[in-house]
Amino acid sequence: MSVKDNIYSSYLKGEKVDRPETPSGIPIKEVYLPDDIKDLDYEQDLGMPGEFPFTRGVYPNMYRGRLWTRRSQVGFATPQDTNERLKYLFKEGQTGFTLTIDLPTSYGFDSDDPICEGEVGVTGVALDTAEDLEAIFDGFSPDEVSCSLSIRPPVSAVTLSMLALLAERRGIPYSNVLGTQQNDPLFQMSGGPLQTTTQFFPLDGIIRLNQDIIEFMAKNFPKLNWMVTNAYNLRETGLSAVQEGAFALSHAFDIFRRAVKRGLDIDEFAPRASFFCSCGIDFFEEVAKFRAMRRIYARTLKEEFGAKNAKSLKFRSSMQTAGNSLTSQQPLNNIVRTTVEALATIFSGLQSIQVASYDEGLGLPTEESSRISLRVQQILGYETGVTQTADPLAGSYYVEALTNEMEKEILALMDEVEKRGGLVECTRVGWLEQQIIDARVKTQREIENEEKIVVGVNKFSIDEKEDADIRIHKINAKEWGEKRAEYLKKYRAIRNQKETDEALAKVTEVMKTDQNIIPNIMDALRAKATLGEIHEAMREATGFSFR
Amino acid sequence: MDKQIKPKLLLAKMGLDCHDTGITTLAYLLRDWGYETIYLGLHNSAERILQAAVEEDVNVIGLSFLSGQHLVQTEKLLIQMKEQQLQIPVILGGIIPRHDIHTLKEVGVAEVFTPGSMSGTIADYLKKLLDSA
Repeated sequence: MSVKDNIYSSYLKGEKVDRPETPSGIPIKEVYLPDDIKDLDYEQDLGMPGEFPFTRGVYPNMYRGRLWTRRSQVGFATPQDTNERLKYLFKEGQTGFTLTIDLPTSYGFDSDDPICEGEVGVTGVALDTAEDLEAIFDGFSPDEVSCSLSIRPPVSAVTLSMLALLAERRGIPYSNVLGTQQNDPLFQMSGGPLQTTTQFFPLDGIIRLNQDIIEFMAKNFPKLNWMVTNAYNLRETGLSAVQEGAFALSHAFDIFRRAVKRGLDIDEFAPRASFFCSCGIDFFEEVAKFRAMRRIYARTLKEEFGAKNAKSLKFRSSMQTAGNSLTSQQPLNNIVRTTVEALATIFSGLQSIQVASYDEGLGLPTEESSRISLRVQQILGYETGVTQTADPLAGSYYVEALTNEMEKEILALMDEVEKRGGLVECTRVGWLEQQIIDARVKTQREIENEEKIVVGVNKFSIDEKEDADIRIHKINAKEWGEKRAEYLKKYRAIRNQKETDEALAKVTEVMKTDQNIIPNIMDALRAKATLGEIHEAMREATGFSFR
Repeated sequence: MDKQIKPKLLLAKMGLDCHDTGITTLAYLLRDWGYETIYLGLHNSAERILQAAVEEDVNVIGLSFLSGQHLVQTEKLLIQMKEQQLQIPVILGGIIPRHDIHTLKEVGVAEVFTPGSMSGTIADYLKKLLDSA
């Protein structure tokens, strides 16, 4: 009875969801008027879609010209298991994929390294040899299917070499290879960047390999994107949309400045630079964030870097719906959350969408949950009609005013990073880490005192026993680890050890110089050196040890 | 328990998993509830955790797993504790499937907290646990 009374009396009073500011802290007015955007200059601040400063999108007709790429994260167990799942998803209408690797591979360890016990194939696929990547691409051609390799330096130096070797062995010219090579030196791992970056490889070595990769790709792979900032993982540490925007761009410009200093022309590498962002649950703030990021990016590339090629000015980004907006309680509700986030992304005009699986708060995706992620995008793309005009929210008093506010906030924070020596330095000294921790604690406090409502968690919750029992992806870490160990044992037994040793010694030698190391890593892979061995060889050159 | 001395919690991540949002947040928030918390960071071995636990004389050990390593790594820690005859309650947090929670409790884990747990709930649990010890 008392519950009924409460609902009834709150209805009489007028049910209020009183949150007069965005999650980043930008105040929201009750209503926006023409006056709120009276200083907006169409040509200068918005421009036509496909034209500078690209606020309205990087292509003139956006999704009418080409629907976004529907990706999903794929990668578990062995390369053969992953290949099977891929074949299933492409049959269901997927058009690209992000290859997720397991934690040992992410850190540059072979599957049979003792440090990897219980980790092989769990969070992604194990990738140890050049032949492993070939197995994943069985039935797929890297000049036809866009694969985003979810890997960071130092490891991405090896996987890029694997990809180059794969193209060579199949007779595909480098210039035809599609996809994205992620190349973020700092923010690839899902956690505070300081320890994840520096625990197993020296930071300076990571930055150097990042630059080798940019150079090698700029000169050889005109169709392969290189991902500058994994803003998604950065955001997932708990940051706000303003922080994501500012740190992602500051990071990119820091890396660009280093590449220019190395002697590369901005128009040589910027046209293939791309981003991977998050889209959180606050609909309008996310739309404003993406529009503001495009404007800041275009202006900086033009004004600071002097880019002349129009392609260099375009902020192109893929996205994934925010994993940290999902709940493990009442998991089916997550389909609604990811749908709203995907819709915000479509209104923001991004190039590629990845919808998180509704069971993300419980485990890795199953075939069913991956398929639903794909269906969410297909329903939005084929049924709703929202794709038929570019930047449909342009001109909205609120959206334009919020875009301006987001731009202002992002620029102010970028200024602060600049004053502290750039984002690499901010990470190195732990300043960024503290920003992340502060943001996490603030969010959790807001959830605990119910300033921030999470349906099913701090409001509208149900008894755990009533919760839907959903199927969960099964982990067979022990079996996968044993399979991989056996494979590697055989792999090493039949190779010409002298040839392998020589190629690895060469990797160590070149790592000590400032020559581009990618061709030497390719040689080592040809000589059947494994990913872990190549990392050891590079570490040896820097005198770094962690064991 | 002596009311003047704050109970001490050792929080740590094991294995290669690097999702640390939950555990670092909890390390801060439990201080509000009157606990002293030590966060040991990522990638700890069982040896390192137990060494720190003994040196710091902690009342509880808290581990967090979000990438599926909870069974393998927790077992490693519990075996070493048995060998060293250490009796410190171990609690877990993170993305841990329901059927594994049952297994974990059977092998000696005191409690498992899944996503959405509030710091106050965890603090209340700790109080009961320590009062009954």
